[in-house]
Amino acid sequence: MASRIFAALTRDEGSSDTDESPRREEPSVRTDGGTVTDGASDATTAAVGDDASALGRLRRSRFLESLPFWGPPALLVFFFVYGAIAWNFVISLTGWEGLGSPDYSSLSTEMYARLLSDPSFTAAFRNTLVLLLAFTVLSLILGLLVAILVDQKIRIENTFRTIYLLPMSLSFVVTAIFWSWMYNPTNGLINEALRGVGLDAFTQAWLADPQFKLAAIIFALMWQFSGYCMVVYLAGLRAIPESQYEAARIDGASTIKLYWRVIIPQLRASTMSAAVVLVVFALKAFDFLFVLFGVNPGQSADILSVMMYRVAFDRIQWAYGSAVAMVLFAMTLGVIGPYLYVQYRRGEL
Amino acid sequence: MTRDSATDDADRLTRRHYVAGAGTLATVGIAGCSGGGDGGDGSDGGDGSDGSDGSDGGDGSDGGSSELEIIHWWTAGGEQDAYQALLDGFREEHPDVEIVDNPAPGGAGSAIDTVVQNRVIDGNPPSTFQIWPGQALTPYTDEDLLEDIGDSVWDEEMRDAYLGDVVDLARPAGNLVAVPINIHRLNNLFYNVSVLDDAGVDPTDIDGPEGLLGVFETLDAETDVTPMAHQTQSPWSSLQLWESIFIGEQGVDAFQTLIGGDVSGLEDEVRSALQLLADYLQYIPEDAGSISWDQGNNDVISGDAAFLHQGDWAAGQYRSAEDFEFESDWDMVPFPGTSGVYQSVIDSFVFPTGNPSPEATEQFLNYAGSVDAQERFNPVKGSIPPRTDVPMDEFGDFLSRQFEDFQNSNTQPPAIAHGTAVAPAIQSSLQEVFANFNGSQDVDAAYDGIVNSF
Repeated sequence: MASRIFAALTRDEGSSDTDESPRREEPSVRTDGGTVTDGASDATTAAVGDDASALGRLRRSRFLESLPFWGPPALLVFFFVYGAIAWNFVISLTGWEGLGSPDYSSLSTEMYARLLSDPSFTAAFRNTLVLLLAFTVLSLILGLLVAILVDQKIRIENTFRTIYLLPMSLSFVVTAIFWSWMYNPTNGLINEALRGVGLDAFTQAWLADPQFKLAAIIFALMWQFSGYCMVVYLAGLRAIPESQYEAARIDGASTIKLYWRVIIPQLRASTMSAAVVLVVFALKAFDFLFVLFGVNPGQSADILSVMMYRVAFDRIQWAYGSAVAMVLFAMTLGVIGPYLYVQYRRGEL
Repeated sequence: MTRDSATDDADRLTRRHYVAGAGTLATVGIAGCSGGGDGGDGSDGGDGSDGSDGSDGGDGSDGGSSELEIIHWWTAGGEQDAYQALLDGFREEHPDVEIVDNPAPGGAGSAIDTVVQNRVIDGNPPSTFQIWPGQALTPYTDEDLLEDIGDSVWDEEMRDAYLGDVVDLARPAGNLVAVPINIHRLNNLFYNVSVLDDAGVDPTDIDGPEGLLGVFETLDAETDVTPMAHQTQSPWSSLQLWESIFIGEQGVDAFQTLIGGDVSGLEDEVRSALQLLADYLQYIPEDAGSISWDQGNNDVISGDAAFLHQGDWAAGQYRSAEDFEFESDWDMVPFPGTSGVYQSVIDSFVFPTGNPSPEATEQFLNYAGSVDAQERFNPVKGSIPPRTDVPMDEFGDFLSRQFEDFQNSNTQPPAIAHGTAVAPAIQSSLQEVFANFNGSQDVDAAYDGIVNSF
């Protein structure tokens, strides 16, 4: 139905257009609406048959031909994703609080000014950055190490791979409760293990002491996601031809040198894609914290996504929550943007 | 489509045509799917292909007034049983009303807020929902989202049966908008009898919050039990303990001034209560940061901890524990310095505007305010009825004593940690202050935080 309407539209425009082109007669010209238009133009005037060249090109263009495929999803995405983001931005400029309706008549950046003077935002922002960097870098390093070890043609490699990847498949809710048991200061496994080897001095109230809270969370998240890094790196390692290892060996490179100079530099693409996924997960680590601490993790472990939820849904300060969400969005964009640009430059997009 | 085109193009159909056609079909298909979904949801479900959807739609439009949708968070153990007992009683009186149960569990009520607020903003409120009365209602009353039920539900007889402070909580903006159904006491100090006997401590003879600290010190020095079971994983337990300390030291009038927002006028008092709380926190379990309050309470039952400051919902855990009897194994005194005080944690039901079932909601609220409902609900819930004329035969020794305390209490102040005392935004902000305080025990920062919260 859509194509018929489209055909009718182009026909109308075609008849009003005076810039005619003889090439229109070529029988090889077929577009998606072609069946109808051809018939219609045959039945009407020759002027329509001799269509405008610009229009002809337009109708032959892949853009319009592919429109039915990407058009509807693009429309949905634009409306529900980008439209929602834009609306969220507008809300962040209002002063919307409580259960009434937002007042769009007076927009200001007051909420953003308030963010800058809010100590809990400063803390959440700092924690988010720390979490982002530490979690991503450490997970990548750990994943790479494990991948290199698993790649050593060991026996039951598949079993190891599954074991390392399993935590990734668990939900944050499960791992959060699991780690709250692990970290329990009196009977948790971590402190028990420390006591077992005589390191009583190192036992801590991991999730209560503000000094260790964030580190404990980063460690738990690392446990969950380094398996994912391992799989990505393993795929990267498998793509490197065996001959390179041999050549390096023949040249007398030590194992460390082999990996440092030859193998790891070739894993840049793996690192990139794993890092982007990790960063996005770090920004969304909401579930983990929410299960552990509810909406108030305290300033030592608060992150922006938890703060956003707390402000918007616990305090019903929608505009302020929207402002936090925009900061979070900008951070995500700051990570994804360069990645997409690099991909684009390389022609991989 | 003309005849010519059909004949012309019959031999010209190429792969490209098929692909284009398939794309078109897909587009129409997507449109069709979403259209069908709309039909099923809306009242015109009858013309959808799914027969059951259609009949649902019919029910909704015909009998909207006899369908009562209740949103609540009573989904665990005794709470759920209590809620079912309430519904059973209501069904007996109004068999024609169909109840649509819509629980929103989790987060100690924070999940329900999200659900209800979003529906209210969308103009699609439930028939009634569970909410703390008092200041927790202010976001709704500010926008006139709750009906005045002063005439329809709160008749003379009902007003006489409720105590004054409780009625006041049902009218935060002047109009009566809520029906309180139960009351928990917050300023309790539970204890394990044998632990205190062994230590030679008499809990009825503790002189104020400061004196309790002395008892903790004694227990810590002379026994190997944890002086006080407590949790610091979420901030509300510390917040409510601070409230009790404040009332115990300064009295209810100062507390009312405080929740009125005059914090700086009470700087020394607030700081003193914070300092005492910080001192208390030296005597809590080492794993307080990774347990919930009921896990902590297990230590009281097992004799590993002496005291617990908690609302009297904690008693439900003692009741279900084996060989753990009231008075012989566990007991409770009002928090030191708060004996004439019955600090109240209350649940209530309200009548949202734009109600889908005004008649059924009114029936339900009338029932919730009746002796029968409160007599069914409260013994199972482990709370006392807000009506003072409910017979106490079913309530057991502990609740009967609480009820007596309630009727003899001088004052029933609201609670910050449980929504009745301050608006939700202030409450949430104070929770954050105490989340930080749990970790840092920094009195100066907490004082500044409290000032900024109001």
